[in-house]
Amino acid sequence: MRISKQAKQETDSRILKAAEKLFLSKGYEDTTTRDIASSAGIATGTLFNYYKTKESLAMRLVTNAMLQGQEDFTGKTTGEEEIGEEIFMIMTAELRRLRPYRSFIGPVLESGLSLFVKNAPNEEGEALRLQHLHKIEEIVNRHGSFEVPFEVAASLYWSLYLGILAHWCRDESEHQEETLALIDYSISMFTRTMNYDVIREERK
Amino acid sequence: MNNNNSTSDQSLTVKNLVEALPEDINGSTDVINPLQDLLAGLESKNVPTKSLMRMWILSSLQAKVAIGYLAYGLRKNFVSKSEQEMMLNETHTKAALKIISTMGYMRGAVMKVGQLLANLPTLVPDQIADVLASLHFEAPPMHYGLIRETLLDELGSEPEEIFDSFDRKAFAAASLGQVHKARLKSGEEVAVKIQYPNIARTISADLRNLRAVMQPMRFSVDWQSIRDNLEDLETMLNMEADYRKEAESCREAAPYFAEDEDIVLPRVFDEYSTGKVLTMEFLPGMHLKEYIETDPSQDERDRYAELLTLLSSRLYFKGRMFFADPNPGNFIFMENGRLGLIDYGCIRRITDAEWDLQMDAWRAGLNDDPEALDKAIALHCLFDSPSAMEAERLKLLRAHLRWQLRPVLYDGQFDFGDKNFFREGVELHMALFRKRFTRGAPINIWSSRFIFGFRALVYKLKGKVNLKKITENEMRDLPELA
Repeated sequence: MRISKQAKQETDSRILKAAEKLFLSKGYEDTTTRDIASSAGIATGTLFNYYKTKESLAMRLVTNAMLQGQEDFTGKTTGEEEIGEEIFMIMTAELRRLRPYRSFIGPVLESGLSLFVKNAPNEEGEALRLQHLHKIEEIVNRHGSFEVPFEVAASLYWSLYLGILAHWCRDESEHQEETLALIDYSISMFTRTMNYDVIREERK
Repeated sequence: MNNNNSTSDQSLTVKNLVEALPEDINGSTDVINPLQDLLAGLESKNVPTKSLMRMWILSSLQAKVAIGYLAYGLRKNFVSKSEQEMMLNETHTKAALKIISTMGYMRGAVMKVGQLLANLPTLVPDQIADVLASLHFEAPPMHYGLIRETLLDELGSEPEEIFDSFDRKAFAAASLGQVHKARLKSGEEVAVKIQYPNIARTISADLRNLRAVMQPMRFSVDWQSIRDNLEDLETMLNMEADYRKEAESCREAAPYFAEDEDIVLPRVFDEYSTGKVLTMEFLPGMHLKEYIETDPSQDERDRYAELLTLLSSRLYFKGRMFFADPNPGNFIFMENGRLGLIDYGCIRRITDAEWDLQMDAWRAGLNDDPEALDKAIALHCLFDSPSAMEAERLKLLRAHLRWQLRPVLYDGQFDFGDKNFFREGVELHMALFRKRFTRGAPINIWSSRFIFGFRALVYKLKGKVNLKKITENEMRDLPELA
């Protein structure tokens, strides 16, 4: 029997809801795919038709939250923002949507978005990376492109971004205000160094 | 109008700083050389771009005051010590300067204090008043995206949900943050002060590090005093960082002023305020500089000088607090000759024990009792009695106190616009620093800021005030001075 696209989507959303609930209550490490399948009311084998690993599943949760954050961002921009402010806004909008997952997101991001491999270690992670960088490229292009090649900018940006995510996961300050300051400083640094003038000035 | 502000624009040179060294060590090469190297190292540290520079130099008044002490404390250690001790000191000095150079706002502070000292002999009183006025917190500017995030975290809603309108651009800098104009849904015009995220914790951590690294220098006679003062500064910083405390002070002080006294304290909107966001009634008017540019008549100047004096005296005698922020941006020259006070962050409350000492000094001063005055001076400077003090220290402190009291004892309108009078006070103050007579109770920093701050304001205003009459009125009901 072929299942309809709609039924498939419903199952997917049930899986994601069950996983989210379990990650928050039991913790990410202690939750198994069996737990998730049983909570979603499906066989473990069926779960694997949707997600190959627990990591991929968790990354999907993260991706969805980030996409929601990107939508929030689009709704908030007025066109008056400077480039740094826009990048700041997209980052903080994503983090706000990710906030409910902060307690378990560290290991998920670590396994899904590694700094030490060129592309992300799993499909979902790589999709997220490309998607986020694409958004940044859009912002950059809207403001007139950088002088340095975008691959260079993207690499530098991605390292900063992962650093911010790592800091945010462990940030104990109220409302993670430490991260807020870190984002502000990091973006100012990034946008300025993307112009040759700065390099020329420094090397004079 | 071009504001002559060359002191703050002029970059600091090692030569300037060396020239500013106390006379007894200026010229001695074994002292100058290592110090020159240290300062040159500090000076040559390049910060890549102007905007990064602005971002990192979070200069706080507290830090600057602390640096003032430290700079003298450091130099002092090069004087009259055995070679071995000098080398030890040099090591610690290097460590301390290294730390300072990594703290953006501290480095800025070193430069500013350095400039003030280096230029002192040639500075005209107007420039000194400018430098005094520019000593205030400087957080990095925030764009609207950051403001929105902070409001969302602090007040739980987007600015559009809370406010009828909210200006995206700040209209003023404030202690640790910036101020935006907005209108509440209920129609009131408000000023919303927003703190830069995490800034207070950063400064506080830096001050702690600095204290830790200077710990080995504790053999110095005045170390305990420097340490206490640093602790006091940290307490003040933490107080200033909590906007709820500012709201509290503002509420407490408002009833001290009757409506016909023309001093306006803004109303605080608690429902839109937290520890990091403060929403207050917007007071329309001009700042001191704009006001002076309107070339007001002498009568008008005198009137505002009187209001400034009344405000500070009332808070002192009735509220037992020092309003210790001389930044002219805190005062609004409003229509119909009213004066608004818009920043309440820098209030230092006077403890009972400190108040008793203050009253002793007042009694001695008003009764013109030199013996009691000397005793009060000794106690303020943490000596058991005047006989325990060096003659020169006592002499300078006496002159300093007499300078403070002179307008209070003067019959009639005292001319605070008198250049010589203002300059005399600053020179006495600096002489105390130069001679390293900095030992004192922590409250002294705040009383100095209070007195110099207000005197710098009325000096710029060129106002004449009957301080004697105001003081007598304000202290009339004090049983301590009956």
